[in-house]
Amino acid sequence: MSKVPQPSELSNWYLPGILKGLGYTFTNMVKNILNPKKMSTLNYPEEKYKYSARFKGNHILTVKKDGSLRCTACMLCATNCPAQCISITASEHEDPTVEKYPINYEIDILRCVFCGFCEEACPVDAIRMGPEWQTPGLAGADFHYDIKKLAYRANLKGGIQSSVDDKERHEAGI
Amino acid sequence: MPKCTINGKEVEVKEGATIIEAFKTMSEDIAHYCWHPGLSIAGVCRLCMVDVEGARGPQIACNTVVKDGMVITNQSEQIKDIVRWGMDFHLINHPLDCPICDQAGECGLQEQYMKFGQYDPEMNQQKVKKRKVVDLGERVVLDSERCILCSRCVRFTDEVSKTNELGIFNRGDRSEVGTFKDKPLNNKYSINTVDICPVGALTSKDFRFRQRVWYLKNDDTVCNGCSTGCNVKAYFNEEGLFRVKPVYNEEVNGHWMCDDGRDIYKYVNKEHRLLKAKNNSGSQWSELTAGKAMQELHNSLFAEIKAAPEKTGVVLTGQYTNEEYQAVFATLKELGVTQAFHWNDTDSDDFDGLLIRGDKNPNTKGLQNAASAFGALKSVADAEAAIASGSLETVMVLAPENIAVYSNYDKTFAALSKAKNFVWFGANKTECFETTNSSNTWMIPIKSFVEKSGTFTNHAGLDQTFNYVTTVVAGALTMSEAMTLFKGETLEFDLRAKPMTSMKNNHFTLNRGEL
Ligand code: SF4
Ligand code: SF4
Ligand code: SF4
Ligand code: SF4
Ligand code: FES
Repeated sequence: MSKVPQPSELSNWYLPGILKGLGYTFTNMVKNILNPKKMSTLNYPEEKYKYSARFKGNHILTVKKDGSLRCTACMLCATNCPAQCISITASEHEDPTVEKYPINYEIDILRCVFCGFCEEACPVDAIRMGPEWQTPGLAGADFHYDIKKLAYRANLKGGIQSSVDDKERHEAGI
Repeated sequence: MPKCTINGKEVEVKEGATIIEAFKTMSEDIAHYCWHPGLSIAGVCRLCMVDVEGARGPQIACNTVVKDGMVITNQSEQIKDIVRWGMDFHLINHPLDCPICDQAGECGLQEQYMKFGQYDPEMNQQKVKKRKVVDLGERVVLDSERCILCSRCVRFTDEVSKTNELGIFNRGDRSEVGTFKDKPLNNKYSINTVDICPVGALTSKDFRFRQRVWYLKNDDTVCNGCSTGCNVKAYFNEEGLFRVKPVYNEEVNGHWMCDDGRDIYKYVNKEHRLLKAKNNSGSQWSELTAGKAMQELHNSLFAEIKAAPEKTGVVLTGQYTNEEYQAVFATLKELGVTQAFHWNDTDSDDFDGLLIRGDKNPNTKGLQNAASAFGALKSVADAEAAIASGSLETVMVLAPENIAVYSNYDKTFAALSKAKNFVWFGANKTECFETTNSSNTWMIPIKSFVEKSGTFTNHAGLDQTFNYVTTVVAGALTMSEAMTLFKGETLEFDLRAKPMTSMKNNHFTLNRGEL
């Protein structure tokens, strides 16, 4: 059991309380001046923290070998999403081996809680959580990520390839 | 009547009933794919195995007649094993397309695997590949890889629609459902094959990929596509209605419905509807709420009609409920109006021998019954003539919901709108509304059949009561409400939320045998 430390009787008074607080500030100031490397804050945005490559940030829609979208519009991610922030419109693909694909895929990133359930639900590795976490925007619309942004934004360099390939599976007789 | 014991419980069944029917009356779970209560027995899926005491070995429940004193169980380890591995065989070549398969969520394989299967597949051979996305006709798409060859669809075209398009071709693991030389499956009942297909092999073109089934709710109503009055279930969510499926009713439609009836949800959706009341007393249209419009009509027309009722007439179509007709006729009586006209563009006695009838109104009979106390209904041509001659100045029209079957809709609208005061009650909007000929036109939005409770009397005089399903246009009124307001009375609303008593879970998911 954790115990919340109760302030002493003395701190109910003005001077003892303020002096104790200032004392804390000064001790830390002296510590930081003598040993700046141990400081626990960053000078953001000049300095940035380096997260692990597995950090679950903004979503990526993966692509097939030919560069088209991997997503099959099964809506399992949208069904699984606790924030209900994924909206997908499915359509019939003219290629019968593809059959179904999304003509619209949108994530309302302001509603997303970055739980990763969408990534877990996807049967074809079509959606992943990428390592990006700095994604400011100027207008509300900047936070509705569409296919262009999710799959083909500039820093993905033409798209990330999915690990599930229909053609290979077909040839393997699965 | 023979008595038997099923899983330890005794039950009495009809003479000649099969074991699977006994299971169904008991609501006991039993695995099955090929048996369907509306079709003949095929006995091909071999999943409905049961142990009968004293029998040589396991029997199929769908093709064994109950004898007095039979002791039957499907709970033994042996039977469970048979069903489990029978299922594995069914799924040997199955593509497991569930992510792109429209059946997912209401699929016989998914459900029965969870109930009776739950094995780890032991097949290590390559799957046999078959044709996918085969265009079978106007309304159905076939994926033969997903087919488990239960032959339900084949038996349907053989026994029910009697059109014999479908067949099973080739042998062994190359067997495939299809049509001879890929001729189209274009009968008037083709979507029933989609309903009874226990897997996603047959899918409906109209519904394909529009929604995942688990996003839809459903509720029972009565089809308003023709005077047969098939019992149906409408599937909807907050975006509108998406499809219609039949509900079993021995007396009316059995297990089936026709393909035209599948389209009845379309003109109910918002994009086809009159959302607000409209008024044009001069040269410009103005919009107002339906309630306000009815109040204004009360203020401007009610007294005028009462003073000279012989100059007023009502045109009725057979697309409203009995309750609404009663409200309308009661109002007419109060006003002293005696002229009522019947508008029906599909007045015919045609019957195709199964379900489809020529009279495309769900409640022509109900209208005639309600009118019999009121006096004879004249035809709509008489109304047009009376308007042209000037003897009819005020016309109220109860317009049809199902515009598609009214071939003279535009023409009749133009002719009737020549009246001096023209009040049009209707659920839908069409382009012809823009060019009214009247100097005082009123359009009142009316609720469609899925938005109200009421009774339709079908061709045989059977009264079928149905309940409210969902709201599409919140501002619309029923004819009864419109008449109450027209009389200058106020509407009473119960604003407390009502529990949805008739809302069921997806019946196709839970109760596959009763499709
Ligand atoms: S991370 Fe969670 S909240 Fe965000 S889109 Fe995925 S499932 Fe929804
Ligand atoms: S991202 Fe994956 S889970 Fe979501 S719709 Fe596409 S295929 Fe389905
Ligand atoms: S038929 Fe059923 S099991 Fe097969 S792919 Fe479709 S949903 Fe999945
Ligand atoms: S298409 Fe469907 S109904 Fe027809 S045989 Fe195959 S699984 Fe059965
Ligand atoms: S063999 Fe009995 S249901 Fe198929």
